[in-house]
Amino acid sequence: MGEIRQIAIYGKGGIGKSTTTQNLTAGLCEHGKKVMVVGCDPKADSTRLLLGGLAQKTVLDTIRDEGEDIELDRIMKEGYGGTRCVESGGPEPGVGCAGRGIITSINMLENLGAYTDDLDYVFYDVLGDVVCGGFAMPIREGKAKEIYIVASGEMMALYAANNISKGIQRYARTGGVRLGGIICNSRNVDRELDLLRAFSKELGTKLLYFVPRDNIVQHAEINKKTVIEYKPDSNQAQEYRNLAQAVIENEDFVIPTPMTQERLEEILMEYGMMELADDYKI
Amino acid sequence: MAKLLDKQRYKCALGAMQTVQAIDRALPILHSGPGCAQKLSENTGSSGYFSPNIFPCTSINEKDVVFGGVKKLDSTIENALKVIDADLYIVLTGCIPEIVGDDSGEVVSRYEDAEKPVLYAPTAGFKGNNFKGHEQVVDAIVEQYLKKSDEKIEGLVNIWADVPYQDLFWLGNIRELEKLISELGLIPNTIFGYKRGIENINKIPKAQFNLLVSPWVGLGNMKKMERKLGIPYLHYPTLPIGATETSKFLRAVGEFAGVDKDKVEAVISEHEDYYYYLIGRYADLFLENRVINKQFTVVADAQYSLGITKFLVNDLGLVPAKQFITDDTPKYYRDKIAEEFKKLNFGIEADVSFETDGYKIHEEIKTHDYHGYPLVLGGYYEKEVTESLKGNFLNVSWPHQDKVVFDDFYVGYTGGIRLIEDIYTVAVQRFN
Repeated sequence: MGEIRQIAIYGKGGIGKSTTTQNLTAGLCEHGKKVMVVGCDPKADSTRLLLGGLAQKTVLDTIRDEGEDIELDRIMKEGYGGTRCVESGGPEPGVGCAGRGIITSINMLENLGAYTDDLDYVFYDVLGDVVCGGFAMPIREGKAKEIYIVASGEMMALYAANNISKGIQRYARTGGVRLGGIICNSRNVDRELDLLRAFSKELGTKLLYFVPRDNIVQHAEINKKTVIEYKPDSNQAQEYRNLAQAVIENEDFVIPTPMTQERLEEILMEYGMMELADDYKI
Repeated sequence: MAKLLDKQRYKCALGAMQTVQAIDRALPILHSGPGCAQKLSENTGSSGYFSPNIFPCTSINEKDVVFGGVKKLDSTIENALKVIDADLYIVLTGCIPEIVGDDSGEVVSRYEDAEKPVLYAPTAGFKGNNFKGHEQVVDAIVEQYLKKSDEKIEGLVNIWADVPYQDLFWLGNIRELEKLISELGLIPNTIFGYKRGIENINKIPKAQFNLLVSPWVGLGNMKKMERKLGIPYLHYPTLPIGATETSKFLRAVGEFAGVDKDKVEAVISEHEDYYYYLIGRYADLFLENRVINKQFTVVADAQYSLGITKFLVNDLGLVPAKQFITDDTPKYYRDKIAEEFKKLNFGIEADVSFETDGYKIHEEIKTHDYHGYPLVLGGYYEKEVTESLKGNFLNVSWPHQDKVVFDDFYVGYTGGIRLIEDIYTVAVQRFN
């Protein structure tokens, strides 16, 4: 059994990190991989599709209610295809320190022996941006060494991706964390593929996979399922299987080279997005 | 790059719990980790009605960091009000809740209608040292409790001096300042120490003016009170020790308060006559010991560094070597304070360094030529280095390990005599 591949997924809020992570996980399961998904978001919705609903109590709620002397099965549930699902959880919006919460729950998982040798993959689905040290916990020494950023052809998504790369660069200098690539969760923006390729190249990485937009993803979400479980024969299910394959085969891990705001805007101009904005018609 | 700070002379802002403790029947409620109060407490002179070991404290832990500690703060205040009989409760926050973002002010505001006042002073350690923390506590009282008063009491003077407990002589000093002010026919009002407390706090807005005796600590409070309560202030930067400075001080206060000049001079004369009678009687002692204590160094916070330097030059005719100010004085006050070190008699000017690093201070003391035995007045940290130079050492500033002080003082005419007694007690012992 090889080393566990620990992977952190970052990206702008609302870009589809959780959806992509869970569908990717389902794809990996089909390849016979053993996967654990750790949701690092106070909203605790990172494992909903794998578990068929918001079906489990978060690590932090459990600690709050029951103390730290708990068994692993109190905070870890088995979901689709034998995936292990954990939700870090967090405080109510506007109080406490969600960043510290992530640190607390990941420490808890380690103490309780959640990282067993039979695991092939651990995914950390981290909320939005790397706003403080707590949200960088999954990429600290000894945790995730691979990072994928979910982005789309929209400017703010790329802006966030560039910003996240700055955080990765910081940790990469001292530790082993590397960027594995950009996953495009398409928004059907014009020339999105070209833009994402150019953007990835500028970051010193590659566009790992381009996931096309398909309404079936929304249907599956409403049904609290991954696409692979909901419509295994659909085109989109195949796309996620391909994404899983790309992750399995990926061997390109780099220290990203984040760009200046000016350069980012240059790239956007080059691929026409700025001009297109003027032609926008309903 | 981080540097090593050797022999630091102050604590973090939460050390202001001792400012609260110095207010009779006031109680700090700490919103902090469990070790803060223990670490910040003084070893001597801080037991009594309530001590740092038993201050109510939220003792927040990791769970409170993640979920916020406001519920615990709320219940701690609620229960402190039930079980501890105090006149004033001041919530002090440590680093953790301030970083996490607990809205402690909002929690405290829920107690607006409590029978006793409950106030809130943000005293996170990262905001500064306990000198700043002290100012935060006074600010909290001014901002959240005091109201402007149309009724004024003629001649009522609020007196403010340096930081209780950080200053070993705080109690004696402020009592002596009260005594001097009352001799001018004014009515002193202070909030720290025995039988002052809430009644005196209530009198603050009725004062004719505020008198601040400190190089910089409390200046922000004076400005705040001027704005909010309409109380003008007299800032006297030098702690008056001995006849020269105390007489100047009384004249300044007398003039600001509109006291008849003849009255002021009569008070001064009476004190000076006795003062110089004592000095005269011991002139032989000074003469016989003229080979020692030619040059001196003070290592202390700004108030003692400045006050003692002026006293030793102006009253005893000693020559200042370099003086050190260790309280991390905010930069914008430094030039004005350094200027004061140039206003010495006989055209003498003292070189002063704002230095918080004890190692650097000691290196400078070791390499200076004192033209005889050095006289060093400082914290206990200076004892060893002074002894290595065969000098005379007196522990006047924090940390205090060499001296037990109940209500002794160095302020005023009498305080000057006490300081001479202490210095020469050390000096004569070397011949025993």
